[in-house]
Amino acid sequence: MSMILEVKHVSKHFQLHIQNNKRIEALEDVSFELEKGEVLGLTGKSGSGKSSLMKCIYRTYLVNSGSILLHTSDGRTIDLASATEHEVLQVRRREMFYCSQFLSVIPRVPAVDVVAESLTRRGVAAEEARERAKGLLAQLGLPVELWDAFPATFSGGEQQRVNVARAIIASPRFLLVDEPTASLDQKTKDVVIDLFLELKSRGSSVVLITHDQHTLDRMAGRRLHLASGRVHELVPV
Amino acid sequence: MNDSDTGWLLRVRHLTKIYGEPISSSVHYTGPKFGTNICPETDAIVACAEINFDLYPGEVLGVVGESGSGKSTLVQLLYFDQAATSGEVYFRAIDEGRTNLLGLSNQRKRHARNHLMGMVYQNPRDGLNFGFSAGGNIAEKLLMAGNFHVGRIRERASYLLEKTEVPVKRMDNTPATFSGGMQQRVQISKAIANNPPLLFLDEVTSGLDVSVQAKVLDLIRHLQRELGISMIVVSHDLAVIRMLTDRTMVLKNGRIVEAGLTDQILQDPQHAYTQLLVSSLL
Repeated sequence: MSMILEVKHVSKHFQLHIQNNKRIEALEDVSFELEKGEVLGLTGKSGSGKSSLMKCIYRTYLVNSGSILLHTSDGRTIDLASATEHEVLQVRRREMFYCSQFLSVIPRVPAVDVVAESLTRRGVAAEEARERAKGLLAQLGLPVELWDAFPATFSGGEQQRVNVARAIIASPRFLLVDEPTASLDQKTKDVVIDLFLELKSRGSSVVLITHDQHTLDRMAGRRLHLASGRVHELVPV
Repeated sequence: MNDSDTGWLLRVRHLTKIYGEPISSSVHYTGPKFGTNICPETDAIVACAEINFDLYPGEVLGVVGESGSGKSTLVQLLYFDQAATSGEVYFRAIDEGRTNLLGLSNQRKRHARNHLMGMVYQNPRDGLNFGFSAGGNIAEKLLMAGNFHVGRIRERASYLLEKTEVPVKRMDNTPATFSGGMQQRVQISKAIANNPPLLFLDEVTSGLDVSVQAKVLDLIRHLQRELGISMIVVSHDLAVIRMLTDRTMVLKNGRIVEAGLTDQILQDPQHAYTQLLVSSLL
């Protein structure tokens, strides 16, 4: 098996200049590797650093030390901790997708277009993208009358489905997923899990944050448990 | 920002604008470290200094900062509204990016402005001639780029007005009779009339009602997607920056204090000033 991601000695703290220069520790010397086609679960209590670690990988947070090596589809290795912004944008466009815990989208864009956009930005024609988006939303059980509505007004579970759809529709090679099944009923939860497993079977690699044991059991091969920003254990699920 | 990168459309290096009598230390004794852009010795105003960045094709770059931080000056220098004091600006569309635009003749600067750039100002009166009709304003921009066929000009003007959702039947009215949001849309039509690869937007939604603001932002986003125009978006409003841009530069006292991916600037701001700005977001 070959690696897609190598996280080495990553540390992160926040320096709050406008609040008496307070320093908040987020991550301390975190290292792990992710293999191609692997789903790695990130677990730990709230505030243990799971989301911070994910945001460091996506470069929404800047790390203070350490490296985050991504082996890209075109055979290069880039350090997401120090790559230029244009390099990071290119990787985001091509192969890395972050599915946040709560849907955060451009306002006043209909659900189907939110999902289709993941395809059109990769060059799929608008009509085809919309058709595929509708197919996926149907699979996820989002009521037809919501497809052309704005997700801002949706319930938590409905937003979640739009969020999952836009994350997986373009089959990204590397996915960061934060609580994808949190506000879903059991049946929809399993639909979502099956979709992620299908991606995995086609070679995508996933880092998954979840508090849900069922989701973890079905999806993840290994689990990285964080406690107070440090790796507590890295074990098979 | 790496000088060996080659994918850029616009490359800006050490761009500086000083009003008044600069001395060699004016730049040194101003900036965020001193909390001022006024030279302590000569009272020269360092509007912006040592600005460096690359803009890529199809990219939207945000410039954020408080009033007087130099953000409007920056785009006005790039659009040749004002003459820079020093620096270098390279644009892929001109001499394949080998010529410093600041050294071009006035004639070539005008050519670049008319053919290859567009600007939308905060105040529609800066971008539109209120003595002309809406269609006439668009025609003016087309004429300056050498289009003289009256029929085709009218056709293009109605196409652009339709695209920016200005009622075409009001084409022959002056913008003075339009609402603020409509004036802004006419300005956008004019700015993109010649399909420029580069568009500057300076506080284009400030002073509009929120619902009108939303419509203008949607229009800009839509046009950017459809036409793939590279844009520099100047705003003091982080919500506008968040909605439109991929990358952001934060200006204070005429200097870039922080630059990064827009989501990083908003969620993990590094500089004290950016932290203050983000914490002030409603």
